[in-house]
Amino acid sequence: MAISGTEREEFEKQLEAYVGIDIGLEDQGRDPVNAAMVRHWCEAMGDGCGAYTDPVQAAASVHGELVAPPTMLQAWILGGVSMASGESDPRDKQKELHRLFDSKGFTGVVATNTEQEYTRYLKMGDEICAKTVIESISEQKATGLGIGYFINTRTTFRDQNDEEVGWLTFRVLKFEIAEASASSSDESSVTPSRPQRLKPALGHDNAWWWDCVEKDELAIQRCSSCHALRHPPRPMCGECQASDWDFVFSTGQGTIYSFVVIRHPEVPGYTYPLVVAVVELEEGTRFVGNVLDIDPAEVEVGMSVQASIELVDDEMKLPVFRRAQ
Amino acid sequence: MPTTLKDEAAIVGIGETEYSKNSGRSELALAAEACRAAIADAGLTPADIDGMTTFTMDNTDEIEVARAVGVGDLTFFSRTPHGGGAAIGVMHQAVMAVATGSAKAVVVYRALNGRSGARYSEGVSGGPTTSDLIHWSWYMPSGLMTPASWVAMVTQRYMHETGCTSEDLAEVCIAQREHAIKNPRAFFHGKPLTLEEHQAARHIVEPLRLYDCCQETDGGAACVVVSPEMARDLPNPPALIRAVAQGAGAHQESMTSFYRPTMTDLPEVDLSARQCWEISGLTADDIDAAVIYDAFSSIVLWQLESYGFCKKGEAADFIRDGALRLGGRLPTNTHGGQLSEAYVHGMNGVNEGVRLIRGTSTSQPAKNEHVLVTAGVGVPTSGMILGQA
Amino acid sequence: MSTETLRYQDVNVGDTLPELPIPLTSSLIVAGAVASQDYTPVHHDKEAAEAAGMQDVFMNILTTNGLVSRFVTDWAGIDARITGVSIKLGTPNLPGDTMTLTGAVAEKDETGNAVTVEVTGKNAWGNHVTGAVKLTLPAGD
Ligand SMILES: [Zn+2]
Repeated sequence: MAISGTEREEFEKQLEAYVGIDIGLEDQGRDPVNAAMVRHWCEAMGDGCGAYTDPVQAAASVHGELVAPPTMLQAWILGGVSMASGESDPRDKQKELHRLFDSKGFTGVVATNTEQEYTRYLKMGDEICAKTVIESISEQKATGLGIGYFINTRTTFRDQNDEEVGWLTFRVLKFEIAEASASSSDESSVTPSRPQRLKPALGHDNAWWWDCVEKDELAIQRCSSCHALRHPPRPMCGECQASDWDFVFSTGQGTIYSFVVIRHPEVPGYTYPLVVAVVELEEGTRFVGNVLDIDPAEVEVGMSVQASIELVDDEMKLPVFRRAQ
Repeated sequence: MPTTLKDEAAIVGIGETEYSKNSGRSELALAAEACRAAIADAGLTPADIDGMTTFTMDNTDEIEVARAVGVGDLTFFSRTPHGGGAAIGVMHQAVMAVATGSAKAVVVYRALNGRSGARYSEGVSGGPTTSDLIHWSWYMPSGLMTPASWVAMVTQRYMHETGCTSEDLAEVCIAQREHAIKNPRAFFHGKPLTLEEHQAARHIVEPLRLYDCCQETDGGAACVVVSPEMARDLPNPPALIRAVAQGAGAHQESMTSFYRPTMTDLPEVDLSARQCWEISGLTADDIDAAVIYDAFSSIVLWQLESYGFCKKGEAADFIRDGALRLGGRLPTNTHGGQLSEAYVHGMNGVNEGVRLIRGTSTSQPAKNEHVLVTAGVGVPTSGMILGQA
Repeated sequence: MSTETLRYQDVNVGDTLPELPIPLTSSLIVAGAVASQDYTPVHHDKEAAEAAGMQDVFMNILTTNGLVSRFVTDWAGIDARITGVSIKLGTPNLPGDTMTLTGAVAEKDETGNAVTVEVTGKNAWGNHVTGAVKLTLPAGD
């Protein structure tokens, strides 16, 4: 639970002392702006802009000479390999503030916004230094990640002539990590790299049907007694009340009975706009599935479609439809 | 002693919380506040209440609400399933309890943090393997997992069969917005809607656009049901329940209707309507105003047809000249409805029905002898007719 | 990357930028972090990233900014000057995924031939980055 009452009041008073202060460090770029670091950056980003790496193109451009990519601004003052140790300068008030948050249980940290302005493009040989000020700390907020506070900082960059070349702001959330996610260290809580579609729940009455899909068949349940077809599967025939059943395989040919184009919300694992149709199969039962490889504007009620069974993500096979040839 | 549910009970008190996007308190608090307000409006005290009923989808237990409000012994408590279809089902329960003597005064409530808490727009996903989840499993893998997507499917077919257009749906939204403009409880209080704005709004699930979909609201609403005799001694003019009925139809599915012989037939709504007319002895011609369940604009049209205000497939023609607006044939959702006031699963509509009978709606039609109030569509549903005592 | 530069008069509000899919690899994420001199362990050390609740190393903000700026200058050309970037960060960029950058011209301002481009970088989990890039373009000949 987040701190409350007098503890919270005292904590927020402590926070006030940090608002408006310089974090106490003047970051001096360790190297002048130079072609090697710029080239390394451009290679990493796949940025082929000649203004950064080609002296001839740069000279002919509005820049007149080689310049550094503007979004590289902060790279000129970052600490490099020394950052890997996690140790920080004891004079760093920003780190001190973060430790204060940590001590009250707000151990989570995430950057949510950045804004940057570039007064001019940096040229080779420019020597850059930066000063950072803690601009503001928000009131306590309930966020999707948990209860916490937003810290806004502003870093101003100057050149060797003490002229401002740009600034950037960062908005960082220090938050109390929700207990559920903090305590669960099992594999399943780790974010996988690629989201998958929602899988069906399997029970007595439907698992066999999904087994057929695994074997690339679109099955339709059939009453053993009166031979009526039915979908979705259920344990009893509504026509004759018989409990015995078997199934037939659909040809997958059908016509669109109705359809939708889903645009919102966008659920991870699916591609939008997403067309879903109720298809009347030629056997007479209906089936709901995606219609692929079609402009949503061209889908119509009555359109002939053909099913095929395909992997729709890394793990799941599903019957999907395409316009019939 | 066979009983038909005609004039067996009356609504004598209504109450609600403010409707917002972030209530800042628990659903229990919302339920308790709505119940307290409804009991006070009825001129009763919590000690007078001996029955409580709500939706199966309500997260707050009756006895928790009872303890919070200070209600004592309960001789009747029950729940009604199927989301918005329960909106009048809960009234049906309350009326049966009063008619049979199982309870003397029943509080009906529904409270949800529908915006700041779990949002229905985010759709179904997992949970225990119930028959319900097996049902959704036919759709989740294909991405069809929100109420908007299910209702859009039926809407598309309806438009195909009847020629109804998105502009026709807009008329439902605009008519209701005209009402909401005057209602201080409404989210869209003071904010008109034009046809151009409706048409320019983004699609949520084609063919439904943003304003065709109801809101997501934090709030609670409640009412108190007692016998007509008891109602005579209470301060507010009672809204007599002239008929109340539930219906689940052939080939009933939850929200989807995809496998029904005709997707656009709504046998459960037809069934609720038929019973309402049979029990009350009234017809559509006797109804002066209506609160028609409106999770989505299109479902209003289908209910107009099922309740016989127009022929099947002709609702768009019926509303085109302003039938749903004040001065029209059937002023509807005079609070703004769930599209424009708030989404409280239809319970805010029950309260508006009572206000229409009392003559206190912010969009009050001149004639208010009989008011129809309905519940959700595409699920087992319910409906009632309110009248003046 | 075109060597032609767009002129202020050539662009209109609503113009869309050519979509740019960026395959997300460990190499890109580590190279971006190193090129920006950002050795915070979560951007190059999988164990450190896992301790922070992530499945793998994830992209640092400077790399995101660098890719966004590349996306805009690929379209606008060498004579465009980026004057500002305003960015909201969302789902992390992890190896194995693809981030697709899309953008459109949102505003034009004749004073200074300024153009604002709205940019979205979307991966399989949702929006990694949404924001705006301000730039100036040369006037037409
Ligand atoms: Zn049979």
